[in-house]
Amino acid sequence: MPAEAPHFWAVFWAKLPYFFSVLLGAAGTTIKVMLGALAVALTLGLVVALLKLARMQLLRAVANVYIEIMRGTPALTQLFIIYFGLSDLGVDIPPVPAAIIGLGMNGAAYVAEIYRAGILAIHEGQVEAALSLGMTPVDAMRFIILPQATRLMLPPLCNYAVSLLKDTSLASVVAAPEIMFFARQLVTETLLSMDIYLIVAVIYLAMSIPMGRLVAHLERARRAWQ
Amino acid sequence: MIEFLGVYRQHLDDWLPELLIACIGTLELMALSFVLASMLGLAVALMRVSRSRLLQGVGIVYVEAMRGMPALVILFLIYFGLGGLGIEWLKFTSYQAAILGLGLQGGAVLGEVFRSGIEALHHGQMEAALSLGMTPATSMRWIILPQAARIVLPPVANYAIGLLKDTSVCAIIAAPELMLRAKDIASSSFRPMHLFVLAAVLYFIMSYPLSIMARWLEARLARGR
Repeated sequence: MPAEAPHFWAVFWAKLPYFFSVLLGAAGTTIKVMLGALAVALTLGLVVALLKLARMQLLRAVANVYIEIMRGTPALTQLFIIYFGLSDLGVDIPPVPAAIIGLGMNGAAYVAEIYRAGILAIHEGQVEAALSLGMTPVDAMRFIILPQATRLMLPPLCNYAVSLLKDTSLASVVAAPEIMFFARQLVTETLLSMDIYLIVAVIYLAMSIPMGRLVAHLERARRAWQ
Repeated sequence: MIEFLGVYRQHLDDWLPELLIACIGTLELMALSFVLASMLGLAVALMRVSRSRLLQGVGIVYVEAMRGMPALVILFLIYFGLGGLGIEWLKFTSYQAAILGLGLQGGAVLGEVFRSGIEALHHGQMEAALSLGMTPATSMRWIILPQAARIVLPPVANYAIGLLKDTSVCAIIAAPELMLRAKDIASSSFRPMHLFVLAAVLYFIMSYPLSIMARWLEARLARGR
């Protein structure tokens, strides 16, 4: 090791700006995939949550099957089905949209459970009280239920966002040009695998640790409020 | 649809045995990294509840670093990163790297689970044990951990489900498991949709019993309180 160490660090410092500029550029795609998948998950998750809370048994069953399948299989397998599988059947989806759809559909199952728990946590008496005060059902939802449910759901939703950020690294296997994808290319170019993956680790940590702090803060705020 | 299923009828006899063998690889990978994660997790949890500031700090840094990185990055650091340094004892096979990577990350996840389990117990428990003349180590072993184990079972079961699915990521460093085998057969047979759907079915068959068990444990614990 002593013989190798100076060389390792010398190369590391010399190449650092170049590696950083390439990988930070790719972080843009990572964030794009994350925000896209988050939007899909939040919207589709609401649909699944409402289906799961529906009176009709068939609708509830549809939601349950969706949730079980999405949570019972790896996100990587789902991405492979959407990208390689569908392209085999003649449906070609470009890498970034495929990653957004795949991670979003996967996330919807988790988000739906968060929504459901949030809505169920608000006591029925709250709605009744609001209605008996003369509020319309929509007003009651808007001013009584949602503000309270949001506070309950925000910490787990942010938690989901943190794990989604990490899952975007899977998009590299369907050739979406995000951090991991460029990191692998840089390694093929330069063979400096340790240097490059350490920088990648730093970039992910720089994004996920502040998000994690935010979750902890929201969690404390929620406990103080309850 | 009929055409799609027809392909299975034709090839399932060839594919299924190979994929089932790969499932054993997946379960083995899961079991070994689970053992590593449990041991590391216990060490991390004990560090975080210890009095020493230094140990607490080490525990926090470990947890933040391991939980803040994608599993894929950890696997690449171990397999390609350490392997590329040219030091003999840091060269791991893809299978060893997979166990090590998942185990290291799991240690952080389980460390937090175990810590919350230990902290959930009332301080009085520890005080009572100590005032009965037990040493801190004996009270930890006989009073705190047995009670904490019950509390942490549901989150540990949930972690195991996540771990089973995360083993699929190890296919990217070519560790011998289900997803890698499915990928190989998919590229040799030109039937990616069939193989990946089949892999999904097999993952589901492995994870569903676990998720039923997790829910049962959660319900039982909720009743016990």
